[in-house]
Parts: sequence; C-alpha cells; structure tokens
Amino acid sequence: MEKIEILRIESLSRDPLVVEGYLFKGTNPNAPKIAIVGAMEGESILPLYCASTLVDFFKNKLEKEKLKGDVLIIPSINHYALNISKRFWPLDNTDINMMFPGYELGETTQRIAKKVFDALNGYDYGVILERRPDPATCLPYIKLYKSGYEDLLAAKKFGFKLIHHRTMKSIDTVTLQYNWQLWGTKAFSIMCPSDNQVDKKVASQINQAIIRFMDKSKILNYHIFNGYESTVMDRNTISVVKSAKSGIFISKELPGNYVSKDQVIGEIVHSLEGNVIHQFLAPCNGMVTCFYSNSLIFEHAVAFRIAKIG
Amino acid sequence: MKTSEIFTSNLPVGEKLSVKRTRFEPKSVDNKKMKRISIVSGIHGDELEGQLVIYLLADWLNKNNDKLKGIVDIYPAVNSLGVDTITRGFPLYEVDLNRTFPGSANEFLPGQVVYALANDVKGSDIAIDIHSSNIFLREIPQIRINKEYSKSTLALAKELNCDFIWIHDAVTVLEATFSHTMNSMGTKTLVVEMGVGMRLTKEYGNQLLIGILNLMKKEGIIECEEEFTVRTPFSSEIGDVFYLNAPKSGLFVPALDHCAIIKEGDKIGDIVDPLTGTIYSTLKAPNDGILFTLREYPVVYEGSLIARIFGEKSGKN
Ligand SMILES: [Zn+2]
Repeated sequence: MEKIEILRIESLSRDPLVVEGYLFKGTNPNAPKIAIVGAMEGESILPLYCASTLVDFFKNKLEKEKLKGDVLIIPSINHYALNISKRFWPLDNTDINMMFPGYELGETTQRIAKKVFDALNGYDYGVILERRPDPATCLPYIKLYKSGYEDLLAAKKFGFKLIHHRTMKSIDTVTLQYNWQLWGTKAFSIMCPSDNQVDKKVASQINQAIIRFMDKSKILNYHIFNGYESTVMDRNTISVVKSAKSGIFISKELPGNYVSKDQVIGEIVHSLEGNVIHQFLAPCNGMVTCFYSNSLIFEHAVAFRIAKIG
Repeated sequence: MKTSEIFTSNLPVGEKLSVKRTRFEPKSVDNKKMKRISIVSGIHGDELEGQLVIYLLADWLNKNNDKLKGIVDIYPAVNSLGVDTITRGFPLYEVDLNRTFPGSANEFLPGQVVYALANDVKGSDIAIDIHSSNIFLREIPQIRINKEYSKSTLALAKELNCDFIWIHDAVTVLEATFSHTMNSMGTKTLVVEMGVGMRLTKEYGNQLLIGILNLMKKEGIIECEEEFTVRTPFSSEIGDVFYLNAPKSGLFVPALDHCAIIKEGDKIGDIVDPLTGTIYSTLKAPNDGILFTLREYPVVYEGSLIARIFGEKSGKN
C-alpha cells in the first residue's frame, strides 16, 4: 500500500488540510483499475466509514495475490467540514461536488476539485460514495445520470436493489460523476442515507456491493454472495408522498419494506398537543425507497418515495 | 397596494413559512394592457441590499400612486426563513435557491418554493433580481447579463443607473437561476449585484432606486415630470474582467477602502500571518481598470477571491 498526498492547503488558524489517497497496486498491470471516493462533504459519515473500512479490507484482510487491478481509495476530502459537523467547505459554504472538473487558478474549492480530479483521472471505473442531498433515509442505491456516457450494464454488477437512472439537470454538469464520465472513467454514485450515525448493516451492504462489482469486473478475485438483479427506476416509476400537515413525523415503515395501497405507512403528531393529525397512506403497491429523516416535518415536504410494483 | 402570499408551508411548531408579494397597481384602469415589472430579492437569505431598494421603491410608490400606469410586484424576501436566520441557502435543506430553478410542484420543498416564485413572476414584462454579492465580497452596483439574452436585456440594463454591466458567457450551472428561467419564459430579466452581504449600503440603494424609476418611466409603467438622470455604465463588451485570487492562506488586509479606479501596480492589499507578523504576499493590480469587486471578509484560503478588475482587453486573460 502506498499513501499518496493529493492536496495540501494551509490555513490561517487551523492545521493544514491534507487529503490522502490509499493506493493498492494489483498483480496484473492489464487488469482494470478503480478509484473510490469517500466523504466529499462533511456530515457524510457513512461514506467515510465505508471508504475507511475498505482501506482496512485491502490493507489487512485480502491476500495480496487476489488483487489484480489497482485500487485507489480517497476516504475523505473535506476533513475541515467533517471535524466541525458542517456539510460544505466551512469558510464559504461551497459544495466541492459542484466544482468539477476543477480549476487550478480558481477559488479554493475549485482548486481542491482540480487536484482531486487529477488524481482520479485515468481509472477505468470510479465509485463515489455520495450523501443524499435532502434529509432522507434510504436504501443504498446507484445514481447514474443519463449523460450518454453512462454504463447501465456495469452498474448492475453492484447488485443493489435499485438503480436510479436519472435525467440530467444543468447543475449536474459540475459534479464529479458527470465529469469523470466525460473523461472516460465509468463512474457510479452510490447514494447513502443522510443520517449522521453509522448503520453497520447498510455499510456492509455497500461494501459488499463494491467488492462484488470489483470481482465481476476482474479487478479482484474474491467471490462473495450474489446481489440483486437491480431494478432500474426513473421519475415515472416512483410515487412521491408529500406531507399534508406539519408536525412531528413518525415513519411506520423502513426503506426496503413492501407496502400495499392504502396501508398506513406513517403519521404526523401535532407538535404541541400530541394527537395524531395525519396518517400517511401508501398511494400504490410498492416498496419504500426513502423517507424524510428529520422528525420535524414541514407541510408539503416530501415524506416518502415509493417504487411502484404490480 | 395589496400583499399576498405566493407560497405557504406550515412549519412543524406553531409557525408558517410564507413567501410574500406586494402588488401596486393604478387606482383607475383603462382598457389597454398594462406593463408589469417584478422586483425580487432575498433569494439568498444573507443578502439584504435588495430589501432597502425595495423599501425605497415601495415608499415612492405609496407617495406617488397617481403616477403609476402599470403593475409593480415586489418580492423582498424570497428565502424568508433564510433572511431571518442569516442563512444564505434554504434552511434545513442547505440548498442554494438560485441553483434550484425552475423547480416543480413535486420536488423537495426548496424546489416547490422556486416553482411558486417563477409561476407568480411569469407574465411580467421585466424582472429585476437584486443580489448583494455575499458576505465575502463588496461589489459596486452592477448588472450581470448572460450573453444568451443580452440582445433583449442590454438596453434595459443601461437604464438602471449602475456603474458596470458584465456580460458573461453562458454557463450551464446558471441555467438553474431565476434570471435564466424567467428569460427563457419570455420575461426580460436582469440581475443586479451590489454592496455586501448582511449589510445595507444606503448610497447604493438610492442609486438603484433612481435607476429603477428611470426604467419604469421609459417603459411607461410610471408617468411623471421628474427627470431621473442616470450614469453611463462601463460595459464588459469593451474590456476584460481580471480575477485576483489569494496565492496564500492568511488574513487579507486591504490597502483600499472600497472599489475604485486603479492603475497597474497599485497595491490592493497584503495577506499576512498575525501569529508571526509575516507578510505572506502583497497583491498588486495586474493592469489599469476599475476594481469592481473587493474582498470584504478578511480570512482567506489559497484561491479565495480578493478582487475583480475590469480593464482594457489585453489578451493575457
Ligand atoms: Zn445572491
């Protein structure tokens, strides 16, 4: 294993920000290479945990001869934000994942993006452990843009239950996934719940999926159990359940649970008087893919998303 | 004058979020179609200069209602929760509303808010979106125009009594802004940047008020005897914008009080280290021009924007 310094930025009052990558060289120079990016923002605890446990896997748990292609893991980029529980770059609140491909003469986070992007360039595959942008608890899934460069078939090798094949918005053109694709890497975002506590079961599902993908892509020779035959979803196959009232939100179902039409899936309690003022009924037969992760909910907020079945 | 809510959402604990608009219209309406102008601010919650301008405008309209010939809609605080909590983005969701347009009724809450705004402003002939830079930078009153729409908006921009018009290239990310959305829906929309976040600059407020009144008079939205004299802005059609970014992290100590006309080699400031008394770097103007953006917030990292200068085309940029 080799530790690579990807960038170093001095600070007026803090320790310098030093971003490092862990490079594991494979035994076969012709095998495909993969890079994995962990926490790009602060509050991305699950991405951080998944990436660091993968470092442990390659460093301590895998026999060296089983690794064929090179693996680069960058567990965290925005240590400054993680250490003070902020989400974005602490000084100016900019999102590093809106700065790609980066610019070496630009603003601080553009410079960070540029150095990270340079380190990631040239890999055959790329995995980005992304935190959900909205407050939501979800099943981990693949988000893949309809960019024209995406590899939907390869995305299925992870074996997640769901792949969200998403139409691009204009702001997606500055994300790592899109720019990485543009430069020839088959990149995939694994979407993680935005919870701030580590769920070891979810973390293990994610890491198994990454290892499964690497095995199926011949980067690794390490057979683990098969995953799911992924279902590809887009906007039309997802039903959005909005909150009719505001108050204290309690979900009665978990992501991944199957629900039937008109079944009660959650409730809203009056925040001052304690009585139930609204019950959420499933609008269709389907599977809960995510729910609002804050206990206090605004009126009109998206409370559940349900993948339709039947 | 009539105030209404264009978007409401009950908040979890005994309060309501609402985005408000006040409409001014003539008392007596003749049959011809009236022109309509919409003035928007506070899409970013930490920017307040627009609130002053809108206050001054509302005050003027209250006192001069007889001069009104069209419809004036004002939306002083689009991100109302953010304005009240010194939060640039939409609280809880941490989303920049000006990267969320056009939104939709089925999106997350910030997307619903911008969708409601765009729908309400839709149909206006002109819209003005007033920003105050942010807390980091001070800007002289300027209009930012996307090249794609400059044909229809440049002439209007010249009426607004600003010092500088910046015509910038079409950037995909900016497609998610209010101005791009409104322009694409047929409302001629201008973006004003002036002053600094979390503060009011009275002089700028009055300057832009004159500009808005002038534009409204030219467009027949108001009719009055008063002459509004406006300055001729510099325009980026005839020059280049130069960026000065911090070469080092440290404390930026400016050598100038505010934005100014400068000469090549003029000192803009130092980046220093208070702990050791060291000057890390001295920043000088790369060319003659007007310094239209100057750093206000002193803590900088390598890359932080210190200044923008508009100068003659030189080819080196
Ligand atoms: Zn703004």
